Amino acid sequence: MTPTQGNTSSRTLANDWPTLLKDNQRTGGQQRVGVGAPKKVRWQMRLGTSIRSAPVFSNGLLYVTGIEGALFAIDTAIGRLKWKFEIEDQIHSTPSMWKNSVLFGSDKGKVYAVDAGSGSKLWEASATAEVWTSPVVAAGVVYFGSADARLYAIDAETGRQRWIQEFGGRIYSTAFVTPDRLYFGCGDGKVYCLEPASGKILWQTSTGNGIDSSPAVTPDTLLIGSEDFFFYALNPENGAVKWKYETGLGICSSPAVAEGAVIFGSKDGYLYALEISTGKLLWKAHMGGVVTAPPVVAGEVVCIQAGGTFAFDLSSGKELWRAGLGGAVQSAPVLSEGVMYVVSLDGEVYALQ
Amino acid sequence: MDRRSFVKNACLGSAALYFHQLSFGLPSDIANPQVPRIELRGLPQKPSPLGMPGLFPGRVVEISSPDAIVRNRVSQPLIKEMLDHGMKRLTGEISVQDAWAKFVDPKDIIGIKINPSGAPACCSSPEIVREIVAAVQSVGVPARNIIIYDRYAYEIDIGSYQALVPPEVKVVGIQDAFTGASGYDMNIYCDANFFGEWETRSYMASIVAHGVTKIINVPTMKDHSAAGVTGCLKNLGYGTFNNVARSHRQPYSFTDPLIGMMCSVEPLRSKAVLHIMDGMRLVWHGGPLTQVQDFIYPAGKMYIGTDPVAMDTIELKAIEEKRQQEGVPSVWEHDPSSITSNDYEFFHDPRKNLFYRRPGHIASAGKLGLGVADPAQIDHLRIS
Repeated sequence: MTPTQGNTSSRTLANDWPTLLKDNQRTGGQQRVGVGAPKKVRWQMRLGTSIRSAPVFSNGLLYVTGIEGALFAIDTAIGRLKWKFEIEDQIHSTPSMWKNSVLFGSDKGKVYAVDAGSGSKLWEASATAEVWTSPVVAAGVVYFGSADARLYAIDAETGRQRWIQEFGGRIYSTAFVTPDRLYFGCGDGKVYCLEPASGKILWQTSTGNGIDSSPAVTPDTLLIGSEDFFFYALNPENGAVKWKYETGLGICSSPAVAEGAVIFGSKDGYLYALEISTGKLLWKAHMGGVVTAPPVVAGEVVCIQAGGTFAFDLSSGKELWRAGLGGAVQSAPVLSEGVMYVVSLDGEVYALQ
Repeated sequence: MDRRSFVKNACLGSAALYFHQLSFGLPSDIANPQVPRIELRGLPQKPSPLGMPGLFPGRVVEISSPDAIVRNRVSQPLIKEMLDHGMKRLTGEISVQDAWAKFVDPKDIIGIKINPSGAPACCSSPEIVREIVAAVQSVGVPARNIIIYDRYAYEIDIGSYQALVPPEVKVVGIQDAFTGASGYDMNIYCDANFFGEWETRSYMASIVAHGVTKIINVPTMKDHSAAGVTGCLKNLGYGTFNNVARSHRQPYSFTDPLIGMMCSVEPLRSKAVLHIMDGMRLVWHGGPLTQVQDFIYPAGKMYIGTDPVAMDTIELKAIEEKRQQEGVPSVWEHDPSSITSNDYEFFHDPRKNLFYRRPGHIASAGKLGLGVADPAQIDHLRIS
């Protein structure tokens, strides 16, 4: 099985960042060009709403969801709002792009598709509880999990339901989709593998507590953290545990993969890099606070948001720089054409150069 | 507020109470500023017999299991066992369901007040919250009528409570950041000017005032840099009203008497029917926010009762004993050389503190009738 970039359409440009951690493979960027310490703020914007999600980027527009119920499209060339799509609900979901639409979930269980250029609504679909996951699109089907313990598959063009599958716990883990497999973690502590076409459960593997983290999948390994303090590497074909690595507290940070390493944060305050093939610790770096957000990788640099924005050397874990802005619980920087876009819990959006 | 406003409020059915210059302070106090006048305004209602100090004043059940927390992980099966035993012992009922039925009716909207402020190192354990949810459901309350809540949504996020509790149970953070009053009822408040702050009122959370019919309080067991300890009373009082950080400004604190006074405001007082203290981890320094594991002891305990004053009295004793064991000063100490304004120093040196702590808030709450503060009168039942 070879994972493909299910979420990125043929129109996607190399510098686009259309979903959580850039693409369905959670490569977290893997740009060839690294990111240096920001020298200046190109522009800064205050959205007036707390931001719990990560932004996405496409065609020069940065899309950000605000907790108080708005999807913002920001023209990154000038740092101005292009349009705003408002709903009467809260939003925790990281948006994702498919063709010319932006998709996101809401706390009342709606999933919206909004025209990326104009900000007008294309369609909406419903779950029965909050959707904090980022909708993922593959082969024209949108997949998203909900706190109602169900995973939904709907038609990406129309919003019509394809299938629903019920599980034993709430779903806050964004799915990873390949042409023939769909993976996610669940509040019941299990990692599930489904058949994307039907929703049929192909395998399930238990961990010791609920799962809040989203999986990353390399050609032969599924990687995911659990609230049981362990980080797991599973065989994506059958769910067998290849190895697991213990940290000091629960893991809800979604992993990024790069150069044979998987990088993730733990609530114990460390950022970890493990060798994917063996589970051996390559390095760990103390962040000085809880780490719940996902890291991203740019060349030889790992960036992550916690109390501020931090950069570490990918091979050694040495801290390269830190910026006292971009404090976030679940957000991740977007890196494109030498600019780092960072959103913060208190509603600020920065373009750093 | 002048006399005219007071009379007007009284005519409107206000439950306003006044406390001014009461002798809440410690005899050994070093020049803490005098407690200003504190005005309380609650809903006009007859107190419920289930409200604090509740059905079992002065009774505290302590359940211990050394295996309940191993390598910092809390055992779900042992938590269930501890909770079941504790509830039966508290109520004297033979069946667990009957024990819960003393507090919970199938028609209730149950609020579970967690303490996520030390998340992830020390917060209300999701394992305990899950068992409480299951017990409440066993009495007939549907999951959709159970609300797990606290004031700060981002702290709940860090604890991952959303992902860890059963479907249909609501998980609510009253506010998203440190400011904002949209989740609060402007007609229920505590008004006092402690340090010349511009906003002198703290408002009650609407979810407490109107959203739930009963509250199960799930505090953690922590020292507190301003209050001395944070237990049942502080989790309820400061977790229900907004704008409470203004009650302490270095090095002084008015947490005594404010905490108890807030707990006495209706309908909070009547709705808080049961307290289940998470003593799996005991924070003996750096509370309430510390993440430094050196000061977090895996105590493996759970305390159950209806009397928050008696429970906090027991908690205070346990934290004092642990501090003594570790060779650090009492939380009652008011030595000027112990005060620091350096957060790093505070979090890493248990001899340092940010404020002169005020553990006397527990006894002050006892004086308000919220429970029994005299250790000699507390019926402390221990189960191993």
